Amino acid sequence: MLIKAIAAIPYSMSIIDLTTTKKPDLALRLKILAKIGEHKPYNCFQCIRCTSGCPSMKMLELKPHEIVSLASLGFIEELITSGIVWTCATCLKCKERCPQAVAPVDLIFALRNLAVEKEAKVPESFLHSLSAILENGFIQKPQDTVTRKMEKVNREKLDLPKFHEPDEKFKAAFFKVLELSQE
Amino acid sequence: MKFAVYWGCLIPTIQYGYEMSVRAVMPQLGLELVELNNVSCCGNPIQSINMFAALYLAARNLAIAEKKGLDDLLLPCNGCYLSLSEAKHFLSQDDKLKERVNNLLREENLRYEGSIKIWHTINLLHDIVKEERIREAVKDQLNGLKLAVHYGCHILRPSTLRPVDDSENPKKMDELVEWLGAKSIPYPEKLDCCGYMLLLSHPDAALTFTGLKLKAVQDWDADALVVSCPSCQMMFDMRQKSSGATTGAKISLPVLYYTQLLGLAMGISSERLGLNLNRSPINELLQKAGLISAAPPHS
Repeated sequence: MLIKAIAAIPYSMSIIDLTTTKKPDLALRLKILAKIGEHKPYNCFQCIRCTSGCPSMKMLELKPHEIVSLASLGFIEELITSGIVWTCATCLKCKERCPQAVAPVDLIFALRNLAVEKEAKVPESFLHSLSAILENGFIQKPQDTVTRKMEKVNREKLDLPKFHEPDEKFKAAFFKVLELSQE
Repeated sequence: MKFAVYWGCLIPTIQYGYEMSVRAVMPQLGLELVELNNVSCCGNPIQSINMFAALYLAARNLAIAEKKGLDDLLLPCNGCYLSLSEAKHFLSQDDKLKERVNNLLREENLRYEGSIKIWHTINLLHDIVKEERIREAVKDQLNGLKLAVHYGCHILRPSTLRPVDDSENPKKMDELVEWLGAKSIPYPEKLDCCGYMLLLSHPDAALTFTGLKLKAVQDWDADALVVSCPSCQMMFDMRQKSSGATTGAKISLPVLYYTQLLGLAMGISSERLGLNLNRSPINELLQKAGLISAAPPHS
């Protein structure tokens, strides 16, 4: 009876619907725990301070306490395929205010990393930043822009010193870092 | 006093107004900026993709700065400040991790020690330059201006990383504004996020964050919003019009960097401060401050 009643509570459709059909994945749970240092999700006692201060909760129904709880139970696959982890604006209020030092935002970063590793749902534009860094060392090259009077300007016109990208050695070293971190 | 300076990605590739105003004000306050060569992105933009690679990039930039032999490093960008302070924290706690990073840095003959101190524009001006020198440098008092300050999330939280100011009740930027003769207004939305980090995945939600905060600041009757982070400026200034359209609000609020405001008060021309690059209605602010005549000929 009680279990039925709990299951009927309609919170976060996208995640709970999946969890009712699956079992926790303890290996993935350990993998996530290893990624987040001392901020263990199982220390959470669901006070919901994180969610009450979360700006993405108002806009996109992100509930950090729920993510913490599901990760703690081992429903990792459900989290990384639901897309909910990409609604965090990383304002860090949850990490600041958690009385148990759980840091939901760090858990969200760890889940995003795992989503990338497992080729789950990842917004494409996030991957674009990485390929830009591999190519230029930065997320973009210096852009042309305009003044309010619509004059076209760039660094040179603005008397700013020449911009330098890192050399080829950087790219080789960074590529190696990416390869190693996949192991 | 010499400071190494690390500009990050956004400032030197699009937020030229911040770079120009930092370059204009710092030497006049007795701070010499030393450029770094061969630096890259700070790692913050790829934290969602690969935390270890992000940490490596942060440590690499710190190692390059340490190689310059200076004690202090200025990071004008909030994202860079968070990324590099997180790296310093993790590497000081975990010797094995530090060794792993250093083994990788050896490829480029670099070594991270953890010796350099990092500063953001706001605590550098507040804690090092200090009130007296700033007040002395002011030529045009900004009396009568009511300004709202926006710190940006990543220099305030988490408090475990020794952020720039108090995480829940920051005061430094308010004081910096008041030292110029203006009034910093208290407002309940002060700690609200600009939404920038959602722009990639949920642009409408991101612009709603921006629009709601701008609307609130406007309703509190502020003459301008003062920021200190290039990401926040990308939202509040560059995307002000689209944030208004997204939230259905009529928004017309000057937004500028603190260093641009400081430069104005120091009598530096708005052109040298890159103020003609701001998209928001800066002339309205300049008129209120009495820095340009009420009816500019070509506006």
